[in-house]
Amino acid sequence: MPVIKQMLQKPIILFCLLVLFSSNVSAPPMLYAVSSGSITFRSDAPLELIKASSNELKGIFNADKKQFAFTMNVNSFKGFNSPLQQEHFNENYLESNKYPRASFEGKIIEDMDLKKNGVYSIRAKGNLTLHGITQERIIKCELSIRNNVVSIKSNFTVLLADHNITIPKVVHEKLASEIKVEVKADMIEK
Amino acid sequence: MRSKLTVPKLMTGMYMAIVMLHVAIPCSFAQQPGNKSFKLLYDNEPFKINCLFKTGEGYIYAGTTNGLYSFDGINFKKINFTNTVIKDTVTAIFQDKGKVLWVGFKSGHIAKKVKGRLEYVEMEEGNPKAAITSFIQDKQNNIWFATNGEGIYYFAKNHLYLINTENGVSDLHVRTLALTSNGDVLAATDQGINICRLVNGKATVNIIGPKNGLPDYYVTTITPAGNNTYWIGMQEKGFCLYNHSSGKITIPASGLSWNYGQVNDLLVSQKNLWIATEENGLLKQSDINTPAEVFNSVSAIQNKINNLLQDNEGNIWMVTATELIAITGNKLKLLPVYSPGVFETIHATLCDYQNNIWISTNAAVIKYNWENGSYTEKKYSFPTLNSKTDITSLYQDINHTIWVGTMGKGILLLNPETGQSRSLSENSLLQNASILAITGRGNTVCAGGLEGVAMIFNITEKNKNITEKYRFTNYNDIENVGNNYIYSIYKDSRGRIWFGTDGKGITVLDNGKLTTYNKTNGLRDDHIYSFTEDKKGNIWFNTEGAGIYCFNGKTFKNYTDADGISDLKITALKTGPLGNIILVNKKGLDILNPERGSISYINNKQGIGDVNADMGSVTQDTAGNIVLSTIKGIIIYTPVENAVDRPKTIIENVQLFLTDVEKNVKGFFKYDQNSFQFYYTGLYYTSPDEVRYQYKLDGLDTGWILTRDRNVTFPKLQPGTYKFHIRSSLNENFTNTDEATYEFVIEKPVWKRIWFITSFIAVLLALVYGYIKRREKQLKKVQQLQQEKIQFEFQVLRNQVNPHFLFNSFNTLISYIEEDPAMAVDYVEKLSAFFRNIVNYRDQDVITLKEEIGVLKTYFYLQQKRHGKNLALNISVSEEEKKLIFIPPLTLQLLIENAIKHNAVSKETPLEITIDLQNKNRLVIKNNINPKITREPGTGTGLQNIIKRYSLLSSEPVIVNNDDVYFTVILPILHKLN
Repeated sequence: MPVIKQMLQKPIILFCLLVLFSSNVSAPPMLYAVSSGSITFRSDAPLELIKASSNELKGIFNADKKQFAFTMNVNSFKGFNSPLQQEHFNENYLESNKYPRASFEGKIIEDMDLKKNGVYSIRAKGNLTLHGITQERIIKCELSIRNNVVSIKSNFTVLLADHNITIPKVVHEKLASEIKVEVKADMIEK
Repeated sequence: MRSKLTVPKLMTGMYMAIVMLHVAIPCSFAQQPGNKSFKLLYDNEPFKINCLFKTGEGYIYAGTTNGLYSFDGINFKKINFTNTVIKDTVTAIFQDKGKVLWVGFKSGHIAKKVKGRLEYVEMEEGNPKAAITSFIQDKQNNIWFATNGEGIYYFAKNHLYLINTENGVSDLHVRTLALTSNGDVLAATDQGINICRLVNGKATVNIIGPKNGLPDYYVTTITPAGNNTYWIGMQEKGFCLYNHSSGKITIPASGLSWNYGQVNDLLVSQKNLWIATEENGLLKQSDINTPAEVFNSVSAIQNKINNLLQDNEGNIWMVTATELIAITGNKLKLLPVYSPGVFETIHATLCDYQNNIWISTNAAVIKYNWENGSYTEKKYSFPTLNSKTDITSLYQDINHTIWVGTMGKGILLLNPETGQSRSLSENSLLQNASILAITGRGNTVCAGGLEGVAMIFNITEKNKNITEKYRFTNYNDIENVGNNYIYSIYKDSRGRIWFGTDGKGITVLDNGKLTTYNKTNGLRDDHIYSFTEDKKGNIWFNTEGAGIYCFNGKTFKNYTDADGISDLKITALKTGPLGNIILVNKKGLDILNPERGSISYINNKQGIGDVNADMGSVTQDTAGNIVLSTIKGIIIYTPVENAVDRPKTIIENVQLFLTDVEKNVKGFFKYDQNSFQFYYTGLYYTSPDEVRYQYKLDGLDTGWILTRDRNVTFPKLQPGTYKFHIRSSLNENFTNTDEATYEFVIEKPVWKRIWFITSFIAVLLALVYGYIKRREKQLKKVQQLQQEKIQFEFQVLRNQVNPHFLFNSFNTLISYIEEDPAMAVDYVEKLSAFFRNIVNYRDQDVITLKEEIGVLKTYFYLQQKRHGKNLALNISVSEEEKKLIFIPPLTLQLLIENAIKHNAVSKETPLEITIDLQNKNRLVIKNNINPKITREPGTGTGLQNIIKRYSLLSSEPVIVNNDDVYFTVILPILHKLN
């Protein structure tokens, strides 16, 4: 590695490199936006398994303030068992015409530095809005930062009752009272 | 249990010698007579207790840097994790309404105790990363917990929610939580009190800080004080009272100039507030308007105290830097007002109407008076007495005059205000009388003694001047009373006067009527010492040697050492302020619960000893608390309200083959799950080593078994229903003790269960039935066979005696007789042999094929003589097989006969019959068909008969085939039946 050796021999160049790197590290503000994200939900009801997913997840994350906001279009869920199921989902349960967006925004509870590369198990406290009802929630997720790409992975459950999503008695057996949600997103610096 | 090691030490309260007269002692006064101290050691190194908790049943748990421990008063027992690898520092303990124990850790984890082990609670939301400091359960049964750094969490609907600065919490460092009467949650934070409330699932937070009158923004602890008020402990400004209904904050007098440093914990006990401080040990506040008393009788508790807890018996526990210490709290107070030298001279004590304590000493009495945490003493000498005169009794009447009973010098009267005294000389009998006891009630004073002193004085206003003469009645003329020593005279609440005599029993004066009770009434001892009356109006008295009696007006109930009285030499008998009967003896107090008849003790375990055994040395203060003199000083016993006075029996573990099973529900076990071990505790922190047990196993034992062991094993129990009973007591008296039980069932093995046995029998019966049925069927078959055979025989016979056959035979014979007589003879012989064979084989079920073919050949011979070469019979069965194959007799003969009968036999149409063996298992009889033009009438019974007979003899059917060219009969082969 003669180049490095050469550089080390020249303190000025080294100094310049240091300045360059350090300024890069502390470059404000650390804003990330979702480049690709998916959100999948499944309802393990006694009679029927409903599963659907969407790739239209949008969101930003401020690593400096540890704040974030994610949103998605409820209509964009695809992959239902049947078109009828999708219609029921959109019209009867989530009323996606009336409440087209679902969102989660808030702040990370842990007091840790999220500017360095690494994998962090963090908890986010924020407001989960679904079906027009906002509920304060804690959501645990795995956050990995690698070369300015932030990856987020999270599993959580949503109580239908929490969001005023009422299930007609007839389909009670078809929809679980709790829905499991899985979120995956890659975020890049804005 | 690796680290289990405790060091109980009995520290006795120090005492001070008082040498000065009438001098204020500048020292706080009340002390604890006995303290217990425990250290937790791990590899000989002490480790720290972070928190204490008492469960609903009274069990104490300690959260330490080495995990969770239960503490039974003797041992610390480690509660391990199911996953034994986990090590975590416990920072909070809690028991919810469902009796589940929750544990919070420094790591932020939460665990529950399941089957005697800890298990982390896994939450979808993850666990906090800051130490858990406190738990509560709200009115909706949600569990809340506070953290040191992340705010307040609560569990609702299986989810975890966080209340932090975004919801308005003033600081994320939360020290403790408290639930208010209206369901709010109070949180002590570094920035004031936060009032949290859940409205429609959303948390709202209100803050109480210095703006609202809180003296200090740094709140360390919150303790409920009743009526929706709370004691608030603070970092710098001591403590204050917060009223959650009105929002008002009251600052006590001692809080105005607080100089004891940080308050760590507060405890309300018996109308006192106990204050644990960071640097100044333990303080006691009995009145909000007076300064706090420093409680420093134990050197170890002079500095940092972390936690305060009152056990169910009223003892107060605290945690210092290195130890867990128990004090008796307000239950026992030691006033070390005199030296041991003075103690020797004390024969009587008195607590006056101002709660000053008086003692008798040589020819004098001393009054100890305290104010503002210090005391003075004042001595009153009686010049008429010499130093050898014993003062036996002291009594203060309604005029506050003090009556002094002496041995040999009668009664002296003392005005405590003026110090004036005189000798009571109204009756000559009193001049040199020896007084044993002076008691009284209202305006009556009773004095009893030797030589017939049994006087009742009637006190009036005028007697405020002690020189005024007293009016009195002397009962020395009453039989049993007047001629005896009177130990005690007692006036009860109904005005009855009770005389206790030395050897003549009791005499009671009721409305002028005298009644005497003695051995004839069932008393075992007629030497009666003293009386007391309980809250129900029963009269209790103690005897010289037969314990005590309770008299309800009709019957006497006796209590002796068998009931748990520790010493039958009873000095005095008193009714305590909570209604218990208190027996004083030389070693301490026996406290009898009159409802249950059970007895608890205060003795050297609590630091009492060398109690004055003089009858007059036990007195009561204005509240009824017991005042007695001991070598260490005056001791005041204040019973604790609602305190437990008997061991609480707890089954700690139930083990099956050394593995814990769930102990709170009835157990069901298999027949081979049959070795049980029970671990139990009679929880009694006051004197845990005195607890003894009785156990019983219904289903095995017949009676109770006494033991001191804390566990019992039942190996190899037979299947059955069992109920384990365990009860604990402080003495050998187990009536009305607390009992715990565990029910379980060991199932019988499958083959011993009723359903199995029934179905087994059913199957057996079914088999027998089936067998019988089959046999019946077989017998029927045999019968049928018999019948068929007879029918067949009949048929054969009928056929052969058929005139047609005979006619044909005779025609043939006639032609031979003329042409060939030798042949005729042969023919007749054959005919005769044929009939003989029919007769011979008639009775047999089967015959060999050889025999049958013999018959057939005879018959064929007869027929061939008629038809000549037009009739042919080919038998292709080997001689060997002929012997092995069996056949119903005359079967073949009948078939051949049929063939001849139904077919035209002529030169143009010869009849050829073949018999051969196919596949070694079928006998095929085949003939070509040439139907006769005139059909001989055939009933078909012959062939039918053969088919029926075969159906009874063989499972294979007889096959009959007619294809218009050949008529074939296939017979299955029969082998020998037997």
